Amino acid sequence: MKLLGIASVVVLLTAGLVSAQSAAALPDWSGVWQMQGGTVFDRATQTGQGGALSKGVREHPPYNAAWEAMYQRNLKLRDSEQLPDPINTCGTPAGFPRLMNVPDTYEFVVRPEQTWILTENGPNVMRIITDGSAHPAPEDRWSTYTGNSVGHWEGDTLVFDTVSTRMSHYPESGDTVLDRTGLILSDEAHVVTRLRKLDEQTLEARMVIEDSKALTAPWNVTKTYRKMPKGTRAYDYACAENNRNPVDAATGRTLILGPDGKPLGAK
Amino acid sequence: MKSKLIAGLLVTCGLLAGAQTLVAHHAGTMFDEDKTTDLTGTIKEFQFTNPHSWIQVVAETKPGEAPKEWSIEWGSPNQLSRQGIRPSTFKAGTKVTMRVHPMRDGSAAGNFVAAKFEDGKIVGRWE
Repeated sequence: MKLLGIASVVVLLTAGLVSAQSAAALPDWSGVWQMQGGTVFDRATQTGQGGALSKGVREHPPYNAAWEAMYQRNLKLRDSEQLPDPINTCGTPAGFPRLMNVPDTYEFVVRPEQTWILTENGPNVMRIITDGSAHPAPEDRWSTYTGNSVGHWEGDTLVFDTVSTRMSHYPESGDTVLDRTGLILSDEAHVVTRLRKLDEQTLEARMVIEDSKALTAPWNVTKTYRKMPKGTRAYDYACAENNRNPVDAATGRTLILGPDGKPLGAK
Repeated sequence: MKSKLIAGLLVTCGLLAGAQTLVAHHAGTMFDEDKTTDLTGTIKEFQFTNPHSWIQVVAETKPGEAPKEWSIEWGSPNQLSRQGIRPSTFKAGTKVTMRVHPMRDGSAAGNFVAAKFEDGKIVGRWE
């Protein structure tokens, strides 16, 4: 009995030591970060001047003809201000990979068994499992906003594989886009992301996106994040707290509610 | 001295707030970014809330006409607080002149550009 007790203590101490060593080997991504550049998802292929809402601005993912047509439809709706951002409906998450492309702050919480990407805007929580687990079998998973992510460490680089994100033919169905140009992917999207610290002030996410329904070739997109000054805090972003900008279901246009709660400009 | 320093910081932060485009949770196309309107009146309420802050201002109108309440949209408290803005920045009852990008349809609402207080303090970019 006494021997068992000693053995238990040894096991516990060893487990604690292993855990501490694992944690110590992980990179330090502490602090609060901010995405660099505007919210055009793929700035490398952007044509047209301005931001995601500017007429004429678009990106050029390797879409097949059917998905290029859907993107062009969304661009036309964007140009006529009738493509409301789905996250205007408070509570709708940005989803992955869009959550790598949002304003406000980011936090990257690295633990031995999981890494969490927390975005203040939304908010969104992305969980990347790094305990050696594989993806669940196809019949045991379903589409979610952030999908299912498993990863591993290659030195200081977190490499993770994401599947089972949400299908989105937005706006005819689904409620995810990659940015306000109306860029979309299907539920077959498969993303491999390499996330690493370039220097003390910069994190980089290199994504290779494959989508057997929407794309004819892998699509490479890189986003970078800058560390904000020490002491910067992230806060709640409770979108439903005082949302005076609901979307008019009839027109797709965003409204402004006056102090009486009624839409301004309404006849 | 301390209050002057705070005021100075506020003006500096305010300038920063005006200089940096605040990313909105919705498109800002209902506002005419090529046009500015100045409103003089009294602050009724500062809603320091997500997803957007709103400054309710009861603005003077033409002589003989009743004052009109305007709704002025601004960034989220998260964005604004990182630029030095606080709930106390716009106290109810304070006289102020607000500069806004007005709504295209003429409604009594606008997007915040800057504010000038009676003591000369400026928040935002007043050019």
